[in-house]
Amino acid sequence: MAGTRRAHPQLARPRFQPSAAAMYVLLLVLAMLFVGPIGWLLLAALKSREEWGAIPTRLLPEQAQWDNFGRALTDINFAAYTANSLFLSTMYALLVTATSALVGFGFARLRGRGQHALFLVVLSTMMLPQILTLLPTYVLFARIGVVNTYWPWVLWGLGASPYLVFLFRQFFAAIPRELEDAAIMDGCGWARIFGRIFLPLSWPALITSFLLSFTWTWGDYIAPALLLDVDHTTLSVAITAWYRDPRGNAIPTVQAAGAALYTIPVLLIFLFAQRYFIRSVVASGIKG
Amino acid sequence: MAARSWSRYSNRTFYLFVSPWVAGFVLLTAVPLVYAFGMSLTNFDGSSPRWRWVGLRNYAELYRDTDAWASLLRTLGFTAIVVPLSVAGALGLAVLLNRRLKAVGLWRTIFFLPSVVPVVAMAIMWKLVFNRDAGLLNAVLAVAGIDSITWLVDPVAFYALVTVSLWGLGGGMVIMLAALQGVPPELEEAAVVDGASRWRVFRHVTVPMISPVLFFQVVTGVIASFQIVVQPLLLAETNSISGVGHVPRSTHLYMVQVYEEFFQSNRFGYGSAMLWVFFIVILAITLLVQRSSRLWVYYEVDSDGRH
Repeated sequence: MAGTRRAHPQLARPRFQPSAAAMYVLLLVLAMLFVGPIGWLLLAALKSREEWGAIPTRLLPEQAQWDNFGRALTDINFAAYTANSLFLSTMYALLVTATSALVGFGFARLRGRGQHALFLVVLSTMMLPQILTLLPTYVLFARIGVVNTYWPWVLWGLGASPYLVFLFRQFFAAIPRELEDAAIMDGCGWARIFGRIFLPLSWPALITSFLLSFTWTWGDYIAPALLLDVDHTTLSVAITAWYRDPRGNAIPTVQAAGAALYTIPVLLIFLFAQRYFIRSVVASGIKG
Repeated sequence: MAARSWSRYSNRTFYLFVSPWVAGFVLLTAVPLVYAFGMSLTNFDGSSPRWRWVGLRNYAELYRDTDAWASLLRTLGFTAIVVPLSVAGALGLAVLLNRRLKAVGLWRTIFFLPSVVPVVAMAIMWKLVFNRDAGLLNAVLAVAGIDSITWLVDPVAFYALVTVSLWGLGGGMVIMLAALQGVPPELEEAAVVDGASRWRVFRHVTVPMISPVLFFQVVTGVIASFQIVVQPLLLAETNSISGVGHVPRSTHLYMVQVYEEFFQSNRFGYGSAMLWVFFIVILAITLLVQRSSRLWVYYEVDSDGRH
């Protein structure tokens, strides 16, 4: 993240004041509240089952049980569910990024009748909870026989996402007009202008869009839970329910390890790409 | 001559470019909503082909359904608690982390990270924290000599859900941080030179300057809070192989009840009626918030994004 740019003398304070020390203490306490649950998950993932249930509760495992991670990978068919999640997320992200870039370009650079009204519809569907349409969509998808297939995600991807359309529209609107004027003089059509001029300039927006939509699908629970059977389902559904002992009881330590493994890709994506995300979200937030 | 043919070409091209979204909107949003309305006028159970037209009976029943009213009020109450707290919390953190600090990037990352943890992992994590016998919270309480609390049952479960929701406020924090850094320092300096206190500068200069971002956070926060369903489902004490347990009353939000009507009671007609009523409620509230924004949001650029 970018550094601070508060340097004006009136507001800046000397370094070691009681209030500065108090501020660090406050930050430390808050940070513990935010990191605590993550730490507890990782500790649980390293405990034996007896240690997890021990009374009084123990903070650290006597000996780290790395085997929990091994069991998380083998107790359920972790590789297969990861492959499902990867396939679904990548395919949706590619499709929705392509279509949203097209639509965003249309709204930013082209003129058409009823454009303003259409854009208002884009904005209002951004506000519409997805779950409202998901349940009836589920019934429709069942009717046309695409439940237990990945077709729903293809359709969602081809349909563009209002949020990403907005993101691309903001991005494309900021590109100077001279660029396309020159191309039009040279006899370029809009498809070429889009593909040859605007797309190569927009890789930050393309990467943001791809990674955001990838993480949405990777993290989604309810759509795969409704639409996919045991063989097709994603990691997010698999780790909630299927770490069980023969008597059907959940095994919290192994489940914790599974949840940690499942979260790692998303954390990495956000750590590496947070600057892009923030910039694009701020652009849509301020001007929305 | 050139201008006219140009504009016709452009019109057609515009529709060509936006056609994926138009088709998607019609087929994946409008049609399902209309279909849901159609379903809400029947007694469809999700599988049996022998469903009947029942007119507005589902809506009449919904009007008398005290559970549905209770869950709607609970959802509104939950939103009224969570959204102000998370927006204020995010703003507070952003102000705190907008100062000169040691390792400022590390602090920011710490508060930001929880907001990107996927909801399923979040639920698993918090169940471990809230666990009655082996959880972190009760272990901390035990050190302070306080008896264990059963967090995920009534009535405490509501506050557990609030806690889980607030944990993700780091996403809003980074956005506000970026907004704070967009405030021209000259403005705040001028106010300081005029003798305004730090609080007054913050209240009368900084907050109005970032009010569009605050507004955006309130709107998206309200919408997000309305559609919460996975968290209560997954935080519920598990007693079945599906991983989804019996949701306690205090976290029985509106969408949870809709979900149960669909998939536990197989009342697709009734569930669709519930969806439609919620759709109207959300539209009304969104419009209300939009209207109120004129009173308190200060725009440097107009709402079309033009300067």
